[in-house]
Amino acid sequence: MTASNLMSEGLNLMLVGMGFVFIFLTLLVIATSLMSKIITRYERDVGTLPEEGIPAPTAVISQAMSKTQHANDDKNLITVLSAAIHKFRSRHK
Amino acid sequence: MDKLIHLWEVTGINQMTPGQGVMILIGMLLLYLAIKKNFEPLLLVPIGFGGVLANIPGAGLAEAGGILHIFYTVGIESGAFPLIIFMGVGAMTDFGPLLANPKTLFLGAAAQFGIFATLMGAVVLSYFGIFDFSLADAAAIGIIGGADGPTSIYVASKLAPELLGAIAVASYSYMALVPLIQPPIMRALTTDAERKIKMVQQRHVSQREKIVFPLLLLILVAFLLPDAAPLLGMFCFGNLMKECAVVDRLSNTTQNSLINTVTIFLGLAVGSKLSAESFLDMATLGILVLGMIAFGIGTASGVLMAKLLNKLVKAPINPLIGSAGVSAVPMAARVSNKLGLESDPHNFLLMHAMGPNVAGVIGSAVAAGILINYVGV
Repeated sequence: MTASNLMSEGLNLMLVGMGFVFIFLTLLVIATSLMSKIITRYERDVGTLPEEGIPAPTAVISQAMSKTQHANDDKNLITVLSAAIHKFRSRHK
Repeated sequence: MDKLIHLWEVTGINQMTPGQGVMILIGMLLLYLAIKKNFEPLLLVPIGFGGVLANIPGAGLAEAGGILHIFYTVGIESGAFPLIIFMGVGAMTDFGPLLANPKTLFLGAAAQFGIFATLMGAVVLSYFGIFDFSLADAAAIGIIGGADGPTSIYVASKLAPELLGAIAVASYSYMALVPLIQPPIMRALTTDAERKIKMVQQRHVSQREKIVFPLLLLILVAFLLPDAAPLLGMFCFGNLMKECAVVDRLSNTTQNSLINTVTIFLGLAVGSKLSAESFLDMATLGILVLGMIAFGIGTASGVLMAKLLNKLVKAPINPLIGSAGVSAVPMAARVSNKLGLESDPHNFLLMHAMGPNVAGVIGSAVAAGILINYVGV
């Protein structure tokens, strides 16, 4: 490549490059603004996503587990309470 | 006696060339800057140490078959390490401030002028016969102005592998020098009244927007500039993993253990390019000077663009956030914030400056795609 050729190539690359960066980011600005507008309108009807993301499917299983746990807890509670009542009554005869 | 002579012949003292000695000292200097002055230590410690290792006479760590050479071939020549790092950077990036004010993307675009102006500078220097840079070399040097380490390494590995050592060192050392290089330029281009401009509170950005944005960017890249797809594709992938919040395990690995592992090997591999033959050259000096100019021009054009935007748009824009358009996340945004606080102790610009800052990352990746497309055929 001759020296003057290199110069014109460099100049060309500078103009093309800078131009393209601006075109690309302008399109991105337009696309982003449009996307934000659509989503904001959509969320007015549907509501926003929770910040921590969509709840994982395992949540269903853990709920079921906690139900049985609750049942166990209740059973224990009833045993303890009835024992206490029994003792109370036997003391206050 | 023969054995003794042989033993003497293989010692480092006997084999050391002056160039290797100088390069070991330069490696030590990088270590000093990293450890004592805290200059980008995460990269300069591995690069500096790699540089010392590469110049141990007779050990051949950086020659074919040596371990550093293997790291280089596997990670940098293939382009893998910079891309993996970019994925991690994506997973650490929050596009919230950018989405709240998409116009700041223009600041990220303007700051890329530093890349192309420096490219032109390198070409002019070759024209006058001061240096002998080809167009590909000039492009790889210009990308230092993008202030983005992985992008610089990626472009250099594609366009000018023999200059990679100098380009990587320049780009990481200048990133560490952002707090010194930028403020004088920013002060010179703005008035005190402009520095005091208060920006409006950013709107809240919903999670859905944050999830859709990386996909939108990816589609735009796919349609318009497939050459930028490796860099921006990995970047978007990392970001989507973070924002979709259903793959936290992957996202945490990407932004912590993976990026750290790769950084170690990337640093050592770059260090392997600090060999005396290729580094101790006038071209290195040229690259260091041109890199500095690239940073300066990028900063200036970002600030000037912000002043222009401030005139055109209704919502006020403080010109100080323009300088954050050179990537250097989050250093450049912190500099904008600091200068804003100097003029008005109640003016916090940090979140506003993060918008142009991440826009700069996108901008320099786009510029990198154009350079690779135009030069590397």
